[in-house]
Amino acid sequence: MTRKHFVFWTLAPATVVLASLALVSIAGAVWFSLMNRTLRSPDYEFVGAYNYLRLLRDSRFFNALQISAIWEIVTVTGTLALAIVLAVLVHETVKSPLRRNLICFAFLAPVLLPRVAAAFIWRFLYSPSLGLLNYLAGLLGLGPIEFLADPSIALLSVAVVDIWQWGLFFTVILVKLLETLPKDPIEAAMLDNASLWQIHAYVTLPMLKAPLISLVLVKAVESLRSFDLIFVMTGGGPGKATETLDLYAYQSGINLGGRVSYASAMSILLLIVTTIAFTIIWRAGKKWAG
Amino acid sequence: MGRLISKNLARTVLVLVVLVAQMPILWTLLGAFKSLRDIVTPVPKLFFTPTLENFATILHNPTIRDGLLHSVIVVSIAVALGAILGIPAAHTLARHARRWGPDMQFFVLSLRFMPPVAIAIPFIVIYLDLGIYDTLFGLILVYLVTTVSTTIWLAVPAFERVPREIEEAAAMEGCSDAEIFWRFSLPIAAPSLFGALVFTFVLVWNELLLALTLAAQNATLPVVAASITSLGKEVPWGVINAATVVLVLPPLVFIGLLMGVINSMVRGGGPK
Repeated sequence: MTRKHFVFWTLAPATVVLASLALVSIAGAVWFSLMNRTLRSPDYEFVGAYNYLRLLRDSRFFNALQISAIWEIVTVTGTLALAIVLAVLVHETVKSPLRRNLICFAFLAPVLLPRVAAAFIWRFLYSPSLGLLNYLAGLLGLGPIEFLADPSIALLSVAVVDIWQWGLFFTVILVKLLETLPKDPIEAAMLDNASLWQIHAYVTLPMLKAPLISLVLVKAVESLRSFDLIFVMTGGGPGKATETLDLYAYQSGINLGGRVSYASAMSILLLIVTTIAFTIIWRAGKKWAG
Repeated sequence: MGRLISKNLARTVLVLVVLVAQMPILWTLLGAFKSLRDIVTPVPKLFFTPTLENFATILHNPTIRDGLLHSVIVVSIAVALGAILGIPAAHTLARHARRWGPDMQFFVLSLRFMPPVAIAIPFIVIYLDLGIYDTLFGLILVYLVTTVSTTIWLAVPAFERVPREIEEAAAMEGCSDAEIFWRFSLPIAAPSLFGALVFTFVLVWNELLLALTLAAQNATLPVVAASITSLGKEVPWGVINAATVVLVLPPLVFIGLLMGVINSMVRGGGPK
């Protein structure tokens, strides 16, 4: 077997599987979005751009777009902020490697939980009648807080769970990254009498610029997969307060009479928006890092 | 003196943070062993007579048992196929693909950008037309997107870290490319590859959306768990807690491995 054969036979099967599945789903979505197909009836016909034009007049779609954007911003900034603060705290206060590893293990547990499990855990904690959080709030004299039923805080309450899982995970990565940094610039800054937080803000974190940008990208991509958490915790409610795009696409494609064509048009728009957004962020990130 | 106080303050804060971070998991663990009577109390109970009845309910419930079985079948086949297809491809990408290797890697990574609904919706219709809607086979097929791409993404750096000298020495001895891969690179990279497979396992084990849309009857464990709340009128919190614990256990077993993956990634110059 020559080199050429070896390269072909190792790469071809994986490439064919990935490319055909990706192509089938995208081509399928484009094709169905031009029809008026539903799961209820077997008949369908070509309707052109009708579904897309209707989307542009659908206020529920724009509401979902807005919720998705808020979700992205809140979870990405929340995760990174928590991770940076906690990583510096761990880096500065825990010096023994054993204790540091124990803390890292504890912080890794939440991200390994299935999202469905995490969602249940927190729904239980948030419960207005028997949740631990409302009991603690009661001790402080705050009335029962409807974490998941109050439209003004429901999205934030769900975002807390996402930040709990990913922020602690990123903390561990940042703690490990801080350990790899060279000591000289930090010692130089200490000689200049810089405070600890100054050292981190002006010396160590800028040194970690490139990995931090990657973490932002990874989290931004991962935040798009909010479906499981929101589906189990609020189902998009109360009202439409936590209905992100994937939830609305699911609702209209499966639950509301299975309007698959309409949902396909929505997922195509979602695909285009995310592709454009990520290309811009990717380029900006590269420029900023480079 | 001021430094000492702030140092102790920082320690206390850290201990509190660790406790708060673990509290949700520990509270669920406790809840799994409580009878409903001990859960529905105005003041949360820390001490109670533990019971195994929640776990008994779960293991005797045919839906949950089937869900567990389906999860095990779907996830193990999808991960195994992902390894068989992805690991040789990753080795070739790391070693023999100079010109279009980066493009191929970007394509693999870009599959992670695809919103899951964009896969789910068209596949419902296609599967209905093909007659494989609501089958484990169909679910395994879409999971291959995740397992193959994630395996390649994580295995390429693992093979890049295999010392080139070993492979070159083997080539001098007259080993073919396939022999070098099988007898030298694969065993050396094996520990990191195992970590990569575990990561893939956790991703698919936790997946809800595709399982919910493509296999509603042949549901996997997350789908079953997500539907427990609607069993009967009274919310069976004890059973939910126990189901959560069962769902959580397999991924948690691998926590040490995840730590190893992070360590090797950080040493390799940060996540890419």
